[in-house]
Amino acid sequence: MLKLEHVTKYYGNFKAVDDLSFEVKPGEIFGLLGVNGAGKTTTFRMIIGLLDNFEGKITLNGKKIDYNITDKIGFLTEERSLLTKFTVKEQCLFYGRLKNMPEEEILKKLDYLLERFGVPEYKDKKIKELSKGNQQKIQFITAVLNDPELLILDEPFSGLDPINVELFKEYIVELSKKGSMIIFSSHRMEHVELFCKNLVVLKDGQAVLSGYLKDIKEKFRKKNIIINGDVDIESIRKIKGVNEVEENALDIIVRIDNQDVAPKVFKEVSKSKNIIKYALEEPTLNEIFVAKVGESYEK
Amino acid sequence: MKNKLLFLTKESFKRKVKTKWFFVVNIILALVITCVLNIDSIINFFGGDFNEKQKIFVIDNSNKTYETVKKEFEEYTSLIDKNDENDFEITKTDKSYKKILEEDKNKNAWVIVINSDKDNVLSYKLVSESFIDTTDYQKLYTVLNNTKQSIAMSETKINPNDLAKITVPVTIEREILDETKKGEEEMTQMIMTVVFPSIILPFFILSILLVQMIGAEVNDEKTTRGMEIIISNVSPRTHFMSKMIASNAFIILQGILLIVYVAIGFLIRGVTGGSDVSSLLGNDIWTMLKDFLASDVGSNVISLIPLVLLLMVITFIAYSLLAGVLASMTTNIEDFQQIQTPLMIISLIAYYLAIMAGMFDGSLFIKIFAFVPFISAILAPSLLVLGQMTLIEFVIAIFIMIVFVFILFKYGLKIYKVGILNYSSKDLWKKMFKALRSEDNN
Repeated sequence: MLKLEHVTKYYGNFKAVDDLSFEVKPGEIFGLLGVNGAGKTTTFRMIIGLLDNFEGKITLNGKKIDYNITDKIGFLTEERSLLTKFTVKEQCLFYGRLKNMPEEEILKKLDYLLERFGVPEYKDKKIKELSKGNQQKIQFITAVLNDPELLILDEPFSGLDPINVELFKEYIVELSKKGSMIIFSSHRMEHVELFCKNLVVLKDGQAVLSGYLKDIKEKFRKKNIIINGDVDIESIRKIKGVNEVEENALDIIVRIDNQDVAPKVFKEVSKSKNIIKYALEEPTLNEIFVAKVGESYEK
Repeated sequence: MKNKLLFLTKESFKRKVKTKWFFVVNIILALVITCVLNIDSIINFFGGDFNEKQKIFVIDNSNKTYETVKKEFEEYTSLIDKNDENDFEITKTDKSYKKILEEDKNKNAWVIVINSDKDNVLSYKLVSESFIDTTDYQKLYTVLNNTKQSIAMSETKINPNDLAKITVPVTIEREILDETKKGEEEMTQMIMTVVFPSIILPFFILSILLVQMIGAEVNDEKTTRGMEIIISNVSPRTHFMSKMIASNAFIILQGILLIVYVAIGFLIRGVTGGSDVSSLLGNDIWTMLKDFLASDVGSNVISLIPLVLLLMVITFIAYSLLAGVLASMTTNIEDFQQIQTPLMIISLIAYYLAIMAGMFDGSLFIKIFAFVPFISAILAPSLLVLGQMTLIEFVIAIFIMIVFVFILFKYGLKIYKVGILNYSSKDLWKKMFKALRSEDNN
């Protein structure tokens, strides 16, 4: 289990991370969210041991993270961290050997992963010759090459098309099922919602929201009603507890204060004859994020 | 962690050696060095009469001077101008100088017309198609002046024995009791012709190569952010040491290869029947070098070669440490190229101080610089060769360098650790000074 206990990090007088605590259990995919400058990268760097002058405690399976156990960690940085003059094979051998993996094992795993991500022909190509998306695949492969106990994924889907996002998702879920602890950061909230049962939202280094997503949504209280049909939008807007009515190409989204407002909206909607859809839904993570952080994360 | 140090060192070394440019550059170096060492054979191979003697025609209107002129030329070449022995071909002629120079074969000839006035005083006229350079003109002037004096003494009817005593060239036996005290010019020549190509130039080239190599590698890993992955698996100390060991191993390999190319050059020279090495260095320098090597001081200097090499290796280590630290602070290769300029200037200062050491024998100012890190690698061996530095002083210079490397590693590592993960030039120096003050030594 990865455990952060009251972790605080200063850069000079600037407090980058403030009293942060969370746990990631084996097999869990954990979301670490926050706008740029919120303290995510500093937190990642502290976890993998790049920064060590901090207050608090970070342990992996009860042990302080040092160079004796970093072989068990996989890290995918937000920006490309590939040595572009290397070929894919050289790059994977280099990073694999740094994790104390035997050469044979690296090559075997590399062949499997290249095949799995549909790029076996790139094995002997130089990194700089690959497209952005394919470079991201190679970066992902280098991060999971050692079947890490702890995998940190900072924007793993950057530059990927939807088909490749699905390939990545499958593999991430597979790793978590095998028992890996995965910390996940993404600007795409639907990905976070899909993966992470547990999460922390950082703002100015502080956790403004933390816990299980289900609980967070329940606590948030606000709900959305999705309607498809000919309804009188103005009369819905006048109902007490309705915050906003938004029309998009397919549906009408009614944002309400809490679940108690739903019957009032339903009563108004039921006056109309042609209703195809009426659904009470939880708010999206992005809505919760905006409400808590004050700005959208999906920028 | 030891395994990772070994792996990173091997990987870094492999990255330097297993490039096509390493092979290309070394092929070029081997060719250039071999060609330079065989340049005279190459020039001769492409033809040209380089042994053609300078024709001098003498029109002796005084009817008494030619034999003396010829004798004076012979004496001059055999006693004073040994290198150019027999490079004059003197012929007496009755033709006019115009006729002589009109002939194609005599186009480059010189004509000396000797006249005698009513008081039997000789006068000379020197005619040539083109300009005669100052050195040759001085030779002719000396020979003709000597001729005039000889004839004047002979005409005053001095006893032949006395005349012989007067005209015989003076013999000066030179003995310098302190063999280390050579002439300024000779010392400068010695540095330029022996110390410069064998010590200073290779050291200068290799140190530039070392600095650029480490800078480029650290910068590449940093700018591609590969550094974050590397440093999350090995400590900055291990990474720093691997770079230092690999780069110095590469430089030593390159140094050995340079020696091999020189050996090949001399081997080819021997096989192709090239002339003596003296013709490459020049007779004066070669004689001076041979005399120097045969002297007690010379043999002492040869026995000090291991110490000189030790000082150089330690200085290479210092260069690699400093280059690594500077590269870690920069955020792109352009910044690093700018920041490495002072390192190059330090080597240049050392080189000029070494040249000046010959001119300012015993200068305390220059001697102090021979103990300054980086400068000592070039200046101290030069002063040792010139006899201006003792063995003890040289050992002290090495000791200072070792202490400097230790300090550089201790404090440089602190900057390196912060620098390699710093991507902003904002408050850079503040961050580095703060790193220096930190207690962390990992």
